[in-house]
Amino acid sequence: MTRWAMVADLRRCVGCQTCTAACKHTNATPPEVQWRRVLDMEVGEYPEVQRVFVPVGCMHCADPPCMHVCPSTATKQRADGIVTIDYDLCIGCAYCAVACPYQARYKTDAPSFAYGEGPIQSEAARFDDGRIGVATKCTFCSDRVDAGLEQGLTPGIDPQATPACVNSCIAKALHFGDAEDPASNVSQLLAENQFFRMHEELGTDPGFYYLWDKKAEGAA
Amino acid sequence: MKNLSTVKLVEHPAKTLDAGTHKLATYCYQCVAGPDLLTVKVNDQGVATEVEPNFAAEPVHPGGGKVCVKAYGLVQKLYNPNRVRAPMKRTNPKKGRDQDPGFVPISWDEALDTVAKKLLEVRAKGLLDESGYPKVATSFGGGGTPQSYMGSFPAFLSAWGPMDMGFGSGQGVKCYHSEHLYGEFWHRGFTVSADTPHCNYNISCGANIEASGGVAGVWRHANARERGIKRVQVEPHLSVTGACSAEWVPIKPKTDPAFLFALIHVMLHEHARERLDVDFLKHHTSSPYLVGPNGFYLRDRETRKPLVWDAKNEKAVPFDTAGINPALEGSYDAEAIEIGPDAQTLGEGDLVGEPAFGRLVAHMRAYSPEWASGICDVKAETMRRIANEYLDAAQVGATVEVNGRRLRYRPVAVTLGKTVTNGWGGYESCWARTVLAALVGALETVGGTLGTTVRLNRPLNERHKSVRKGPDGFMAYPLNPTDKEHWSAQPNIRNAYRSMVPLAGDGPWSQALGPTHFSWMFLDQTPKGLPRVTLPEVWFLYRTNPAISFWDTDGITDKMARFPFVVAFAYTRDETNHFADILLPDAVDLESLQLIRIGGSKFIEQFWEHEGFALRQPVVAPAVNARDFTDIATELAARTGLLEKYNAAINKGVVGVALKGEADGGQWDFSLDTTLVHSRETIWDAVCRAASAELTGGQETHGLDWWKEHGLRTRPFPRVDWYLQPTLEEMGLRFELPYQERLYRVGQELGKRLHEHDMNWWDTQLAEYQTLPAWKDFPKLWEEEVGRMGGRAEDYPFWLLTSRSMQYAWGGNVGMQMIKEVANNIAGHQGVILNARAAEDRGIAEGDMVEIATPKANVRAKAVLRQGIRPDTLLLLGQFSHWATPYAKEFGMPSMNSLVPMSLPLTDATGSGADLVRVSLRKVG
Repeated sequence: MTRWAMVADLRRCVGCQTCTAACKHTNATPPEVQWRRVLDMEVGEYPEVQRVFVPVGCMHCADPPCMHVCPSTATKQRADGIVTIDYDLCIGCAYCAVACPYQARYKTDAPSFAYGEGPIQSEAARFDDGRIGVATKCTFCSDRVDAGLEQGLTPGIDPQATPACVNSCIAKALHFGDAEDPASNVSQLLAENQFFRMHEELGTDPGFYYLWDKKAEGAA
Repeated sequence: MKNLSTVKLVEHPAKTLDAGTHKLATYCYQCVAGPDLLTVKVNDQGVATEVEPNFAAEPVHPGGGKVCVKAYGLVQKLYNPNRVRAPMKRTNPKKGRDQDPGFVPISWDEALDTVAKKLLEVRAKGLLDESGYPKVATSFGGGGTPQSYMGSFPAFLSAWGPMDMGFGSGQGVKCYHSEHLYGEFWHRGFTVSADTPHCNYNISCGANIEASGGVAGVWRHANARERGIKRVQVEPHLSVTGACSAEWVPIKPKTDPAFLFALIHVMLHEHARERLDVDFLKHHTSSPYLVGPNGFYLRDRETRKPLVWDAKNEKAVPFDTAGINPALEGSYDAEAIEIGPDAQTLGEGDLVGEPAFGRLVAHMRAYSPEWASGICDVKAETMRRIANEYLDAAQVGATVEVNGRRLRYRPVAVTLGKTVTNGWGGYESCWARTVLAALVGALETVGGTLGTTVRLNRPLNERHKSVRKGPDGFMAYPLNPTDKEHWSAQPNIRNAYRSMVPLAGDGPWSQALGPTHFSWMFLDQTPKGLPRVTLPEVWFLYRTNPAISFWDTDGITDKMARFPFVVAFAYTRDETNHFADILLPDAVDLESLQLIRIGGSKFIEQFWEHEGFALRQPVVAPAVNARDFTDIATELAARTGLLEKYNAAINKGVVGVALKGEADGGQWDFSLDTTLVHSRETIWDAVCRAASAELTGGQETHGLDWWKEHGLRTRPFPRVDWYLQPTLEEMGLRFELPYQERLYRVGQELGKRLHEHDMNWWDTQLAEYQTLPAWKDFPKLWEEEVGRMGGRAEDYPFWLLTSRSMQYAWGGNVGMQMIKEVANNIAGHQGVILNARAAEDRGIAEGDMVEIATPKANVRAKAVLRQGIRPDTLLLLGQFSHWATPYAKEFGMPSMNSLVPMSLPLTDATGSGADLVRVSLRKVG
């Protein structure tokens, strides 16, 4: 089996938002819709304070709350772990957006563009009416993954088969790969480093891992 | 030229896509940390839709071939509805912020004719005005980035003759000014970087490398963090870089010299000498040179060479005597001569001298961590620990082989930020940083502190070739003369850099490295001794917006309104071209054509293991009635009768590559017929062929079509060329550290020249020319400025600072919606950052509107409460406060620039000021 997963190395992320921008390019999301974004957080009090940048988005949970609440079965889960939305089935109720503990879902009720009411050429060229009034979110660039696999490429390794945010990352903080394959890039990273997943206590079994330090010598 | 038999050329094929869409390779050089190499996807309708990294560049690019966030704004930049859509002329002759310029569209023919006519009028009456200043002035934007976009316009500038390029738009107050001048003087370091790929310990005083180092900087530092570098970030607020550092030291603003002096003190006074790189100090620096009673070197009476004390033979000998063991400390008698300013003999005969290093040791004795603690608001134990960690990490004695050369391995570096290296205290900070490197032999070697480009020495694209033998065993430096015969009493441009700032040199970049605010500040009140500063009759603007980006922006905006004829290459309307007479929309990044050099060693972290060229090419037809800069330049040259000179300048290489050349047995000549008007394609085809030939010793002569297909072409650049130590050793030269005899002499001579011309208004600045810099109460200078503005220091208890925004810095991209959207994810893009506790004490809550004020001006912003900032400090990120730029004028974000006073007392000897100011804070809503 395959489970596609994202790994963010918090030691490397600088909060530049290049992934945010690259995602917007690749997925043609409208203004203020950020399927990938990076939070700027502080921990502690002056002067004992740390600032940390945390990439977030859909965690492609193994047990996704968004799917369970979806009354129209628009939200589904693929065998490879990617959580999908069928825009044709979505009724725009936004239950999923409320249920998602990661605030990863967006719903745009009317077309919106960068500069006012009308689209600029690049927006017009890619406008998709099917995304209005429905829930949207990160797809793990499943179209790139699928097209890449068809060509015999390896997602997470070959750029053409890899999510745009990972391709763009200027700090090499984002990684993508098959968490079920012990030889994959992401499995290696998880084996070598200490990590956590966000809101793991909720039992969602997220497919998004955060590295924060090397494992101690000899640690399992 | 390298030996081509050992050079493997790297080709970079473009990827092909599905039918209907295609990708084109190009570059982004919106900031000095570029270029980033990218591809742009264009759909079957000819619309550019997506930016991606040029994955083919990954093997040669030091940032993994990735592309910075700013480049993703280029598609919106192309289709931005707020673009200037055609040439425009002003119809309202009255100029002022409150005046509608009344711009109306005109044809390109009319626009170019109008500009040419004005230029011909100027030319007919002479290029200089009654004060001797050029009648034509130009201002270009940050760090030379416009040159990567202005096509062949430099050839037009060259053909024209004298121009004043010294009207500042950010230089001096928004750059690393002391680093530029002193860095280049000491180690050909116009910009300075840690050797990040090999450094293990980095003390970073405000260097915001994660925001300003571009893709290469971010990539390398992330790698370094993962392998365990310790970066200690010393700065008043916790920047993006501080966030990614192992430790944050929240120092009081403008006290960095005290912090750095304390580190030197610990190394000199709390450790055995053997912990330092004694061999390096003795043989590769000025440390052993004997200093006489008047502060100048003791010299051999016959040869005039500086003397050192040879401990082996117990006698004073010239510094370059073979087989000696020079003493670093002590006091010695020597038969010598001491020569002061203007070649004056200050002493001759049996003189007592001390090695410069001994002078340093004595000089630094008082600067203990305990002393510095009270100044910097940093614990003494913290400074002592950092000094010790630095010394431990330096691995004095270790060596490593690079490209067959055995070099010192010193994986420690000190890096400095903008406000640390400009204005008062900049010299002291840069000196201390460079001395900290020299003490352990970490200057210009593996893991240490590197200069990465030259701009004041020549050639600009090869810092090693700029190393020439100078006086006293040091590198030559093109100081502006200060001797009586050659000192320039008649400035060639309004900012008087040649007269006032010897270190600025007199090369193509020097005008922009002088006191560029003088051109503005002296317009109404030229100080004694300088010819009256005049308005330029024609002012060209490109990629610059000084009405937003300089200091005292309200003041200079009023002055701009008096400029009689302003030609602005304009993307959108903005606060500076609001005063223009003609707007010329140049083709923007994805519409235009140019070949630039990449790789080798350039700004900041741009030192590569490859070098070559990259092409910027039109990926789509212009979205508005814009013209390529090269075509505009050619038209202007033709219409002003300068075509032959213009073409000759292109042939000579003014646009980046000489069209005729020879190397490695190959010869080529793609020179243009100087009598003809050439299209941009013809010009850049010739440049492409010459570039191909230069890269291959004439074996290849690929034209424009090949470069459009491939995008870039490189060859290896030896890593050993990142380091200057081997070159200096080969040439028998020393680093001019720690003692500054030459600068002290220059300062004394400059003072004499100025006083001879009854110019006493620069005396405070002259005090900066010291042999060994002393601490001064730098913060107090800004407190005193409050008094000069009519306030009381105690009523303005906050420091207002700024910090780079990676999403915006240098980019000229403030009108891009997507950039604004993603930048808002980072704190500070929507208000003023202040310490949460300090805010609470004043009853200020998150989102409250606050007023930030000096006695002369005030701005308002939303409060953004954070923990990562000193309680006495406020931070306004970036430079906003737009009132004319479409989209940006809706931000409601202020800038510190309208609060920072343009002030002679706040100008240091290099002609720079620091971008900080004392302010008050109060809640207003």
